Amino acid sequence: MSAFWTYEFLRYSLFTSMMIGVLAPVMGVFVVVRRMSLMADALSHITLTGIAFSLLIGRWHPPAAAWNPVYMGMVFAVGGSVLIDRLRRIFMHYKEAAITIILSGAIGVGVVFISLADGFNTDLFSYLFGSVSAVSRTDFFIILILSSVVLLLLVLFYKELFFLSFDEEQAVASGIPRQRIHALFIVMTALVIGLSMQIVGILLVSALMTLPVAAAMRFAGSFKQLFIYAAVIGEVCVLTGLFAAFYLDTAPGGTIVLLNTLVLVLSIAVSKAAGKEAV
Amino acid sequence: MEWIQDWSFLERGLFAGMVIGFLSPVLGAFLFVRRMTIISEGLSHVTLTGITAGLVLMQVTAVFSWLNPLYTGLLAAIFGAFIIERLRGMYRAFEEVSVPILLSAAVGASAVLMSLVPTSYAEWYSYLFGSILTVRQEDVWFTIGVGAVTLLLMLLFYKELLAISFDQEFASVTGVPVQRVNMVFTLLLALVIALSMKIVGILLVGALIILPTAAAYLIAKSFRRMLLLGILFGEASVLGGITASYYLDVATGGMIVVCGLLLFTAALVSAFVRGRTGLGEERIT
Repeated sequence: MSAFWTYEFLRYSLFTSMMIGVLAPVMGVFVVVRRMSLMADALSHITLTGIAFSLLIGRWHPPAAAWNPVYMGMVFAVGGSVLIDRLRRIFMHYKEAAITIILSGAIGVGVVFISLADGFNTDLFSYLFGSVSAVSRTDFFIILILSSVVLLLLVLFYKELFFLSFDEEQAVASGIPRQRIHALFIVMTALVIGLSMQIVGILLVSALMTLPVAAAMRFAGSFKQLFIYAAVIGEVCVLTGLFAAFYLDTAPGGTIVLLNTLVLVLSIAVSKAAGKEAV
Repeated sequence: MEWIQDWSFLERGLFAGMVIGFLSPVLGAFLFVRRMTIISEGLSHVTLTGITAGLVLMQVTAVFSWLNPLYTGLLAAIFGAFIIERLRGMYRAFEEVSVPILLSAAVGASAVLMSLVPTSYAEWYSYLFGSILTVRQEDVWFTIGVGAVTLLLMLLFYKELLAISFDQEFASVTGVPVQRVNMVFTLLLALVIALSMKIVGILLVGALIILPTAAAYLIAKSFRRMLLLGILFGEASVLGGITASYYLDVATGGMIVVCGLLLFTAALVSAFVRGRTGLGEERIT
């Protein structure tokens, strides 16, 4: 434990993890309930393309190398979600293909950017799978501000999001601006992905948003309970995973996700024993 | 088959590339009409877990030092496919969550396994993003063997696969063993993903399955045509990507996907020009 207080970078990672441990599952509840869990996967993969693009620009134009690539990643994620919406309209009968097309195409473009930037090195690995040492002091304060913004937006638009998630037609009929709320929701999801990936990495972000929610769903009796259970599971797994990874010397992102998976498997087993087959 | 031994790395890569350029769009067409394309992403990430587990076994235990990680990857993909099916049953109201669950759990396990063995980043990257330089002779044999099995299964079950893809209920009424054919289909998917990982890598397999098919869908009017065009686009992406990556000196897997993306964009533009934008009403028959 003491190491986390002695070293500044570890302390910032710990604080960041504590924030995303709550933020990601809370956002995840809306993502899963709005049936957009695949979208979260797509957005996180597109974030990689943005990061790769930022690395490439940094190589061509050295002053730009000082930017944190994560912000470019967030911009790309929002752009990617617009493309997905467009494609959904073109592939009316086969809507779900839109996500796969953009998700897989984006990684391809990202890989080309990375190889142009000669970026197949350790840094890329920490973007993919996360790293506890990636959070600097400045990063920490930016993360703090952005997560507060997202939480505030969630509280402000809770009613609209709730309504849209459960009865879209009724919500639209009663005058909720669906398009605008949806756009806001996508931007928020992209932000949460960008924030969380600094700890767990791009490939594992969606795990933080879906696994605790999937586990909480097996028990929760109401929407409020779903939030609370998901946030508690998320936070416990993030903290335990972080400490376990530190002492066992394993990858932190992977350890956190494995713990989450374990909790999910346990909750499925327990709820099955209690006679609950499907949710 | 003596001549295979004289192949250079480029010839080996081209051969393996052409095999997957043919097989993945065929599978993609079936996945597309079944609205299941996202499953390929889930399974490819599970394959990564299999590969890392294989590498750990190889390096930690003496008994398994002969192991080729491709085989453990293949096993994991088959296993993963069945887990997805189970999860779908458990989250009936939110079926689509089963893919992200499996995908993220798989990557988490891979990340932990990766940190257990002292393998270089370059090797991980070659599994993640593919590397044409590392296609060895035994991989060519793996490609021939698995490719032949896949093709044979596809030919044998073509009619059944077609039947369950378009109307599962009707198929089951007319006596197609739906459960068993679904299992064959899952097996095919796992085989193709395992084949593709050497060339395009785990993270890019999905693109090779969906992009040529999606492009073909925008042009073709029947399933058969979509299948043929998909194969054509798949081969064009693979050959174009390998050639471009050779001359431009960029990652092969990425270049193959970019070629696929270019073809897709071209198909999209041509669909707009011909006024086929209201594709909403059109279903493949």
